[in-house]
Amino acid sequence: MAGRQIYNPDGFKNMEADGKITGYQFDFKAQYYRGITLSIVRDIKVNVDGEEVNREDIRLVVNGEAFTLEEMRTVIDSDYRWEFGDYATVTVCKEGGLAAGSHHIKAVQIIDPSYMPFQIEAVCEADFEMK
Amino acid sequence: MSCEIKRSVSLYSYQDEYYDKKLDLEGCLRETAKTGATGVELLAEQMIRRFPLPIETEEFRAQWFGWMEKYHLEPSCYDAFLENHIYDNRTLTLSEQVNMMKRDIRLASMLGFKNLRTLVSTPMDVIEGSLDYAEEKEVKIGLEVHAPFSLNSGWADGYMEMIHRTGTKYFGFIPDMGIFCKNIPDVLRDKARRHGASEECIKIVDEAYAERMAKGFVKIKYDLNLGKANMEYRMANGMKEMMDAVEAAGGGPADQEYAGASFTYSWSDPQDLIDNIDYIFHTHAKFYNMHEDYKETAVAIPEVIEAFKKAGYKGFLSSEYEGGEHLRADLPVDSIEQVRRHQEAMRRSIEDC
Repeated sequence: MAGRQIYNPDGFKNMEADGKITGYQFDFKAQYYRGITLSIVRDIKVNVDGEEVNREDIRLVVNGEAFTLEEMRTVIDSDYRWEFGDYATVTVCKEGGLAAGSHHIKAVQIIDPSYMPFQIEAVCEADFEMK
Repeated sequence: MSCEIKRSVSLYSYQDEYYDKKLDLEGCLRETAKTGATGVELLAEQMIRRFPLPIETEEFRAQWFGWMEKYHLEPSCYDAFLENHIYDNRTLTLSEQVNMMKRDIRLASMLGFKNLRTLVSTPMDVIEGSLDYAEEKEVKIGLEVHAPFSLNSGWADGYMEMIHRTGTKYFGFIPDMGIFCKNIPDVLRDKARRHGASEECIKIVDEAYAERMAKGFVKIKYDLNLGKANMEYRMANGMKEMMDAVEAAGGGPADQEYAGASFTYSWSDPQDLIDNIDYIFHTHAKFYNMHEDYKETAVAIPEVIEAFKKAGYKGFLSSEYEGGEHLRADLPVDSIEQVRRHQEAMRRSIEDC
C-alpha cells in the first residue's frame, strides 16, 4: 500500500516535565484540501490501543501555541491556522505516557467547512513504535 | 466557429503534491505553465499561508505578479469559501457574510483576478449585497454549478430571476464539467473493487446510471434547504429503486458506498451551455482520470468543448483534477501527469476547428 502519509513517523514521543513522563504526543496533517481556522475543527478524538482518550486531556499545538478543544472553538487568528499539508501536534496528558514498543492509533478529525452539508469525519489509523 | 477558448489550471488539481510538500505555490505555477495553460486558478486558503494577511502586503503581491510574468500566466479565477459557520454556535449574520464576500472580492482583485468562484451554499442575499462592490472592483461573482445542480433547472431559475431583476453584469455561473459525465468515473469503480464491491452490484449501479442518462436526469429544484433539494433530486432519479436492488443482491458497505457516490455525478445536455452562454465567464474543467490516450472515460470533453465553440465562449476552461481522492488512501497520485494529459486533450479539442 502506498497511500498518503497522515502521521509524522518521527512524531510519536513521550513528553517529560520535571523528570516525569506527563503524556505523549504525535503529529498529523488535516485530511482536507485547504488551510482552516481551528474554529472549524469541531473535534479530535484519540484512541490508542483501544483506549479512548478523554477530550479534556487533548491539546492541539499549532505554530507553538497549545489549545484545548474547547478553546479551539473561537480560534480564527491567521497565525494559528492549520495550514494545508502541515503537521499539527496533538498532545495527550497521561501519566507515564506510552510504553516502549508497538502501538496502534485511531484518531478522528471532525472538520466542518461551512459549505458542506455534512461534517468531514476523517478516521486516521496507523501502527507506530515508541522508543 | 470560435477558437478563442483559453486554458487554465486550478491549483486544486495539485493538492496531493502540495500535501506531500513536493510542490509549493511557485512549483504549482511552474507545473501549470509547463502544460501550456495560460491561466491559473487559485484557492488562496489552500496555498497562501497565514491567509489572508500576505495578500495585504506589497511584498507578496510583487512576488505573485513576478511569478505571473515569469511563467507567462494570467490569474483566471479566485476560489472563495464563504466560511459563514466559522463559529459552531451560530451562522454569521447577513451583514457579516456580505463583509466576508467583499473581503474576498477585494483579495481577488488585489491579485489580479477578474472572476471569483462562490459555492452553491452562498445565500442569494449575500450575492446581491455584494454586487455593487463586485462592480466597483471589476470582479465577477460566479456561482459554481456542480453536480447535483445544473443549468436550465428550477435551481438555476432562482438565480436567473435575480440576474434579470437586478440587471447585474457581475454575477453568473461557473459550470463544473462534472455535470457532463457520461459514466461513473472509472477510478471510483476501481476503488469500490479494491474495497470489496461485487461485480453484480457494480453492474446494477452502472446500469442505473445508464438508465438515468437515457431517460434524462430529473433536475434539481431551487430550495434554501440544499439537503432537502438534494434528497428529492435523488429520489426523483431512482435512487431508492437502485439501493433496493443493491440490497437485494446482498450489497455490503463497499457496494452501498459506490451506489451512493454514483449520485454525485450527473449528465446535462451540453446545449445547456449554449443556452446560458451570456451568464458563463469561467468554467471548471473537472476530470477524474485521464488515460494515456488522452481519453477521459467519464467527462464528455469533446462534446462540451464543441458546445462552447458553438456558443462563442471566450473564457477559460480550468483543469480541476479530482481523481486523487479515490486513490490517495491506498495508491499514489500523479496529478502533474493527469493535468498534463487533460490540458493536451482540451488543446486538441479546442484547436480542432
